[in-house]
Amino acid sequence: MAADQDLRMAVDIGGTFVDAVELDMMTGAFRLAKAPTTPGEPWRGVTDAIAKLATDLARLEVFIHGTTLGLNAVLERRGAVTGIIINDGFRDIFMIGRGNVPDDHMYDFQYEPPEPLVKRRRIAGVGCRLDYKGRELVPLDETGVRAAARHLVEEQGVEAIAICFLFSFRDPAHEQRAAEIIRAQYPEVKVSISSDIAREHREYERTSTTVLDAYIRPIFERYIDRLSGALDDGGFAGRFLVMRSGGGAMTTAAAKASPTQTVLSGPAGGIIGAAFMADLLDRRDLISFDVGGTSLDVCLIENAQPVTAHEAELEHYPLLIPTYDIRTIGAGGGSIAWTDEGLLKVGPQSAGAEPGPICYGRGGDRPTVTDAALILGYVDPDRFLEGQMTLDVAAARSGIERWIGAELGMDVEAAAAGIYDVLLARTVGAVRQVTVERGRDPATFSLLAFGGAGPLLAPLVARDMGIREVIVPIVPSGFSAWGMLGADIVNDYARTDLRLLDEVSADDLESLFAAMEADASASLADQGIGADNAATERQLELRYMGQEHALTVAVGGAIDRAALRRAFEELHEARYGHAMEAPVQILNVRVRGLGIGRSPTVAIREPAGGGPERALLNERPAYCFARRTMTPFAVYDRARLAPDDRIDGPAMVDEGTSVTVIQSDQRLEVNRYGHLLVTSTEGA
Amino acid sequence: MTARTDIDGATVEVVQSYLTAAANEMRATLIRTAFNPVIYEVLDFGISIYDAAMDLIAEAPGLTFFLGANDYSVRKVMAHVGSENVEPGDIILSNYPYWNAAHTYDATLLAPVFDPSDGRLFAYMCIRAHWMDLGAKDPGYVLDSTDMHQEGVVFPGTKVFRRGQANDEIIDLIRFNSRMPDLVIGDLNAQVAALRTGERRLHEIVAKFTRPRLDAAIASIMDHGERTTAAALANLPQGSWTASDIIDDDGISDEPVAMQVTVTIQDGVFEVDFAGSAAATRGPVNMPFGSTLAMCKVVFKSLTSPDRPSNAGQTRALKVKAEPGTLFHAVYPAPTFTLWTGIVGLELIHKALAKAMPDRMAASSGGDVPGFMMIGTHPDTGQMFAISNNDPVGWGATPCHDGASALIHLSESIVRNTPLEVLETKTTMLIERAELRPDSGGAGQYRGGLGLHRDIRFLTDGEFLTVMKKTKSPPWALEGGRETDPNTVILFPGTERERRVSTKRTAVAAGDRITLLTAGGGGYGDPAKRDRRRVREDVAEGYISVDAARTVYGVSSDDG
Repeated sequence: MAADQDLRMAVDIGGTFVDAVELDMMTGAFRLAKAPTTPGEPWRGVTDAIAKLATDLARLEVFIHGTTLGLNAVLERRGAVTGIIINDGFRDIFMIGRGNVPDDHMYDFQYEPPEPLVKRRRIAGVGCRLDYKGRELVPLDETGVRAAARHLVEEQGVEAIAICFLFSFRDPAHEQRAAEIIRAQYPEVKVSISSDIAREHREYERTSTTVLDAYIRPIFERYIDRLSGALDDGGFAGRFLVMRSGGGAMTTAAAKASPTQTVLSGPAGGIIGAAFMADLLDRRDLISFDVGGTSLDVCLIENAQPVTAHEAELEHYPLLIPTYDIRTIGAGGGSIAWTDEGLLKVGPQSAGAEPGPICYGRGGDRPTVTDAALILGYVDPDRFLEGQMTLDVAAARSGIERWIGAELGMDVEAAAAGIYDVLLARTVGAVRQVTVERGRDPATFSLLAFGGAGPLLAPLVARDMGIREVIVPIVPSGFSAWGMLGADIVNDYARTDLRLLDEVSADDLESLFAAMEADASASLADQGIGADNAATERQLELRYMGQEHALTVAVGGAIDRAALRRAFEELHEARYGHAMEAPVQILNVRVRGLGIGRSPTVAIREPAGGGPERALLNERPAYCFARRTMTPFAVYDRARLAPDDRIDGPAMVDEGTSVTVIQSDQRLEVNRYGHLLVTSTEGA
Repeated sequence: MTARTDIDGATVEVVQSYLTAAANEMRATLIRTAFNPVIYEVLDFGISIYDAAMDLIAEAPGLTFFLGANDYSVRKVMAHVGSENVEPGDIILSNYPYWNAAHTYDATLLAPVFDPSDGRLFAYMCIRAHWMDLGAKDPGYVLDSTDMHQEGVVFPGTKVFRRGQANDEIIDLIRFNSRMPDLVIGDLNAQVAALRTGERRLHEIVAKFTRPRLDAAIASIMDHGERTTAAALANLPQGSWTASDIIDDDGISDEPVAMQVTVTIQDGVFEVDFAGSAAATRGPVNMPFGSTLAMCKVVFKSLTSPDRPSNAGQTRALKVKAEPGTLFHAVYPAPTFTLWTGIVGLELIHKALAKAMPDRMAASSGGDVPGFMMIGTHPDTGQMFAISNNDPVGWGATPCHDGASALIHLSESIVRNTPLEVLETKTTMLIERAELRPDSGGAGQYRGGLGLHRDIRFLTDGEFLTVMKKTKSPPWALEGGRETDPNTVILFPGTERERRVSTKRTAVAAGDRITLLTAGGGGYGDPAKRDRRRVREDVAEGYISVDAARTVYGVSSDDG
């Protein structure tokens, strides 16, 4: 780090706002600015948010960017005109997929699939075939490759080509040669090959991942280049990193080569921040609980490590990329409450930011969760978003009366509380699902609440599930951007193996790991990571022969197959309650390359003395879920709270962009970092 | 409209969420711990939760036929065991076809749940999953049994766990009666793990809400199901309609088997009557009555409450009739192993309904879940394998859009096919082609979806099972659309041994080939009315040939 590069900046693009945060690495001082998201020209919202911070870009050590550009390109079908080259005779692997309809259409006997990302006319088969061991059955028809490329590029006008051949994860030579031919013939066309993108088994999943890569790559490259140019014009000379979906960040060069790694990175900053908090506060098991305007994201942090998955889904297309195992439910502040013949429902439809909740007065006429929060007294209509917007309480009240209260025979407060009850039940279901899949009891976790609406809902979830503690970080609505500041540079490598653990020699495994580590190290060096800061981690995905799902076992220095088997069995026992005699199979061999950066600086605050009364703003009636009635709540200003302050519920802590609600059976304590800790008073 | 007065609509919804979440957690546990690819990859299972009266209160996404079968089986099996004879921690196994509403390899585990506060039974949980082998006369599927006893070892309703303790004698009996004991016991354990998860959750639910509020909420859920279904039913045309089709053969003779159904919608009742269908057959295409009920429930739900969580209230208006001893009501000892008659039967009911409301129904799909299985010995391991796959078919065109191409049949549409790279790794099949079949979708103003062409070459000797129905009667069209060619299996194409079969066990030798052609969906409306732009699009996409565009749709390639 140059002496004058003492700042870090992270910018996170959300659905409605771009959040930009600046961290002073000397003092830990932290600033947040927001600018509206600009979907037509996404880079503009980013530069607007940066301009609001008025940071001297020359002082930036690192600029870290979280973008859902790739995701949006798929959702809005704005990606490149893409073609596929595949084995002759298997032209429709991408069209057919696994032949299934989405689960929520199981009784829809007239299901109509969405328009595919690639039209069938842009899919070409060429002669070549490997068997399941990677042995060549049919050599690559190079003339056929040229003809297919000519058809796709010259007649179909494709800008990007995905190449996926059967069993290429065994031997990528045919794919590599085909790519070489096409690149020589059409240097302007972007070529993605499946064995580069996802060297794993299952042809549809691998093809889908490769197609998504090809589809978003051109748009992604243009965007990154444009933003880089804008930063450079501002005097930026630090490192520009892009967030990955499954941990850490990567340089822009790496991101442009592998843009699929970024598509699900929206919530990743918050997860990295959560893992950092797990370490900092020694709460090794955390549930990260992120509630925004339209959705709620839940992810487990076990032993200070986020739970990851090796497969994800985007618009029903499978993606073989490492991701944080985040569960999303379509419920947030904008979710619409409605009735179905006497039952109260919340979501999945959302009023979004436009027209928004009734109380925004922008034309929304259906009651939302935010309207309910207003009726229940959790939102101060005059202080909303730091007073930038006044809320219409009367309109919210009459909306809830009309659409919910009258339908269900409930008074307006009961109806508003009912909206929260229903939202809460769905939320608790999602949190339980995440923990049960890991064989864990949610009561042994702490809940880390962030996003604008997280600190309101999380204490209710904790009460319901017997979770002992809710942690509200500094500036919860900017936590996701703050979390990005701690991202390391990460590269992941995987190869499907499918041999039995017993039949692979330790030497064999060692040389396989070594080869993959060489790739990882070379990539880190390319990204400017010195050997001092570079590390690699080895993992094996193991399963009992016959099982589908595998467990990931960390591999230490020397390879000891008996120890690996024991580690696998212990994990299996912990997760599923039993271990077995069956042979153990290696599904995938994985290596992660890590370029370890500095941890973000966290300021320690001084107690202020005199007790929390200094921060008392007022008292107002709000709904207490412990007493199930409207109750006077003391309202405190977060900015004036200090370490060691203790407040018993019912109380609220307001900070403009979010409010922490402490029910009458809960209490709050401020720790030395200024985090709010909400716990139960029962059994204390 | 106001809800019941004793409990509000928010609380009812909250209880419903908790119950559904419990079913989903059971599902997550089963998928994670199952041994058998048919469970974890193909999702061949059904998970349901019942109240003390054995009325359905929640289910998890799974095989629709399995879910409906659970509803029947829980009552029959408990009638056998006696609800006074169960204790906390008991788990009961049943695969007796006539009670369990399935063939012998779909094993149901059933567990009572007791309220810890007063020891009273308040719920049942049911998990049905396909087991790989229970000792039937042939490995894999049994295609030509003539009575139940050739279809494997049968458990009527037998405690595999008593008060939480495994009954090792029963588990031994299963183990010693299976050709694949590790898989079967592994799946048994997975089902048990899922039941334990469900039991814990239901205990928490009854403690949280208390029994009286839980009961009131459940009553309200049922009532909601009944009311919303009645409203939907009132919007359907009233009257009576009959349709008929055939099952290709019974697995023993080549004679087609008659199926007939009459649907009557009147006075708030939806009646499905199978009078006119054949007597029970000698071969195993018969359906236990519970399976017939399950099939009818699927159709009924899709018409009246497709987007709502399931409960018993929703099916109270459904009445099903089939005389004992007939194709749709098998009685002991009639064989039932290939009861996939229900797949074809489901669309037979649609065919009758299409007469009532052609403006709301789709044409026939390819009509079946065409499956295949190879049984052999893997040269790498020396172990026996029996690996199956379900192929997709074209779906029928609808009154407002083209039918989807190459999807798993509507009766189990969330089930997934087996990846080629998995099939070729676990078996000795080499797939030489798997592509859409141009011109296989029924022509029409809206075109039926396309079927699949699959060529398989065998690399070693073994046995190959085709489970292909609807090979003799074409998928029907609607309103002037065109029918399509039915499903086709061609054994040893291009050799002197070439022949066409349906559901058949065939010995194969290294180098042999088999071709499977799955049917496209029927068309809807006169092809002449199809938008010419869409005809040209179809040609460009390769869905129809230039020739078909000209001869069937009257659109030539140079026609602007």
